[in-house]
Amino acid sequence: MADIVIRIAASSGDGVESSGSLLSKIAARSGLNAYYSRGYQSVIRGGHVWSQVRISDAQIYSQGDGIDILVALNQDAIDNQSGQLNSGAFVIYDTSKANADVLKGKGYKLVGMPLIELAVENAGDPIARNVVSIGALLKILGLDIKVFEKILSEMFLRKGQAVVDNNVKAANAGYNFAGIEKAYELKGDGKARYIINGNTALAIGAYASGCKFYAAYPMTPASTIMNWFAANENRGVVFKQTEDEIAAINMTIGAATAGVRAMCGTSGGGFSLMVEGLGLAGMTETPIVVVESQRTGPSTGLPTKTEQGDMLFVMHASQGEFPRIVVAPRSVDEAFYVAADAFNLAERYQCPVIILMDLFLSESSRTVDSFDFSKVKVDRGKIATAAGSERFKRYEITPDGVSPRSIPGTQGLEFIAASDEHDEYGDLVSDVLAGLEISVETRRKMHEKRMRKIDTMLKNENVFVPHVDTEGADYYLVCFGSTTGAALEAAERLRAAGKKVGVISFNYLMPMDKEKTKMLLAGKKLIDVECNYTGQLAYLLAANAGIDIEHKILRYDGEPITAAYITEKANEIMLKW
Amino acid sequence: MNYSSSVKPVFCPGCGDFGVHAALLRALTELNIDKSSVAIVSGIGCSSSMPHLFSTYGMHSLHGRPLPVATGMRLANSKLTVIVTTGDGDAYGIGSAHLLHVARRNVDITMIVMNNQIYGLTTGQASPTSLIGAKTVSTPFGDIEEPINPLAVALSAGATYVARGFSGDPMNAAELIKNGILHNGFALIDMLSPCVTFNTLNTYDWFRKRVYKLGADHDPSNFGKAIEKAMEPEATGWEKIPIGLFYQTKRPTYEELDVTTKNGPLIETPMPSSGDVEKALEIYK
Repeated sequence: MADIVIRIAASSGDGVESSGSLLSKIAARSGLNAYYSRGYQSVIRGGHVWSQVRISDAQIYSQGDGIDILVALNQDAIDNQSGQLNSGAFVIYDTSKANADVLKGKGYKLVGMPLIELAVENAGDPIARNVVSIGALLKILGLDIKVFEKILSEMFLRKGQAVVDNNVKAANAGYNFAGIEKAYELKGDGKARYIINGNTALAIGAYASGCKFYAAYPMTPASTIMNWFAANENRGVVFKQTEDEIAAINMTIGAATAGVRAMCGTSGGGFSLMVEGLGLAGMTETPIVVVESQRTGPSTGLPTKTEQGDMLFVMHASQGEFPRIVVAPRSVDEAFYVAADAFNLAERYQCPVIILMDLFLSESSRTVDSFDFSKVKVDRGKIATAAGSERFKRYEITPDGVSPRSIPGTQGLEFIAASDEHDEYGDLVSDVLAGLEISVETRRKMHEKRMRKIDTMLKNENVFVPHVDTEGADYYLVCFGSTTGAALEAAERLRAAGKKVGVISFNYLMPMDKEKTKMLLAGKKLIDVECNYTGQLAYLLAANAGIDIEHKILRYDGEPITAAYITEKANEIMLKW
Repeated sequence: MNYSSSVKPVFCPGCGDFGVHAALLRALTELNIDKSSVAIVSGIGCSSSMPHLFSTYGMHSLHGRPLPVATGMRLANSKLTVIVTTGDGDAYGIGSAHLLHVARRNVDITMIVMNNQIYGLTTGQASPTSLIGAKTVSTPFGDIEEPINPLAVALSAGATYVARGFSGDPMNAAELIKNGILHNGFALIDMLSPCVTFNTLNTYDWFRKRVYKLGADHDPSNFGKAIEKAMEPEATGWEKIPIGLFYQTKRPTYEELDVTTKNGPLIETPMPSSGDVEKALEIYK
């Protein structure tokens, strides 16, 4: 078994992103598991950026720690990344752009390569140095260069056979470079896998469940959802780029009212603008899905760095009270299923569903063996289709709080949805009736009707409880969303070191089944793991389940939490327990 | 077809919005559109209670946001006749950005702005169309901001039907609305609709002295003339206010250009099969 972390570092514009995605694709096609993440800055050219690809023949859940192979395309890469090198790491560096003298005599395997020269010599273009370096990596990793050659021919086919041939030559020049030897034994299982990032999996999951409308304003790290919908408009969906996020959510509400499954997406800043619209969806009981991919805040914060700082915000955003569902997918593949399920929940309970992503999950790619389409079922909830003899009550008071809705175009079921408090027909009780006895009673009944949907959700759905990994452990790491991957691996390492550690992870966070959650957590030694300063999940659990978690592992420096980070801190905590 | 609901208007006695209500009702009746395919969308303000007076579909949405809601409806189902009824605060103040963008997109929406040059429902503050010097509770020393010229704004943003009506002339207003609905593309109808309670400056009498109908000599296909006419109130120190159709042109609507909606209403496109989803995933393998 081998488990290798490769980091390719250079300046923005040097193509490290395509290198990372190519390398992870080669691994995925070679029957291996891969996890591809990026470190980048809010600059288009220059600065310092890297791609990290972890490749293993075992199942992996996170980006990995340290660096086993560094590809340094400039001096900055040597200077900034060498602190993270694992012992005995390979360092491939471009001799025309960097020297590795500072790393000499430290047990690293230093491989200087004239990457630009090789690129020009073989492909006639310095840009091919990424292809050369991937060739060299494949040799070290012991992977079949034929897989890469096939990908190159697919990639460059449109540019002509000569370009394909040149790139294949460049790849082989790297692969056959004197002094580079195979160093790892990766055993692929022969099954090609998907390599896909969280946002794309989410977008395709939404598409699979019949989401036909996506509205958004560009904002990192949600923009790749927009890019998917824009590129796939010819599949019978509409993507609308809007003037701002206010328009995005209100268009989504309009489209959903008209009967189309609709979604909008943004990050925390854009979500702040969407907040009033969220309340409109709550009041008009319009089924919409909103994606909030968190980045480091407050305000503009670190636009290219990750955090889990918006959980309590999205749960409480908007004036007044209304039912909403908040779900934070724990992995790339879960983002696919969660997105598909979100529309069923939104339409079944006629309320907004918020999918809480974060930069790390949105933009990291991992291998997925397969997607199970049979799990994608479409349930559009209660829809009235035939007019009765009486005027249609769009907001009819029902025992479960859900009233059948009608789709505009259906005769005899017309109604006006109102952001004001209204009666069962949708007529206002906010102006000439406000404060009158009848209106006071109507307000109470209508508010109770809407809020009652929370009880109905908890009764009818079994998703609002945490997931326990490893029964009967002595300690549990408690986490939500994307942090789960690193927590699972940390627990695995701790167990390998003789400590009985499990993980309790949350995806469907709101509403919370308080009783079941309490039952699962009570009496256990818990360590809260989150990417924020205040421990928002711990706060939520204290408020909802009366569980007070004293020990916390919190990270809020913008970098994704790693298994090594959790393992180290958890050891410290357990030592003192 | 009866387009009225059982809801009674709550406008102040004498409010200009009565005239606009009558005009919209007349326009719909004359067009005889199936009311189940009509959606009337409003924002917040006195005028925005309008949808409730109708027995069509619709939404009484947020302050300033009827245009995005209406756009979402049109993009989801281009068989719907979508009408926005709103006020000057909604359209030209808090929601002004949406006006620019819906105009340049040319979404097929008919927007009727009941422009009373005051915030009525919040009891009389200055609005984006209040005139310089207007004394309101928020401008007790007189308004010092240049008013927005909604027609010039809409024209320069690319609106394809730009008109102004006066609620004191509901027959003419009904004609402008009717033609706005028939127009294929975004139609803005700025409707001078006096607030009899809070606007003591721009009263019916004030308007009757100034308003005149654009004559047969006005060519609504002439953009330059339309701009000139739109600027006439400012140019004449608010002595002459033309009403009527300022400008109309043909340009494909957003719905006609969009890769998907050009083939028919989005709501009617089929759900993807698992094969379709597999195809979408293929390139990630």
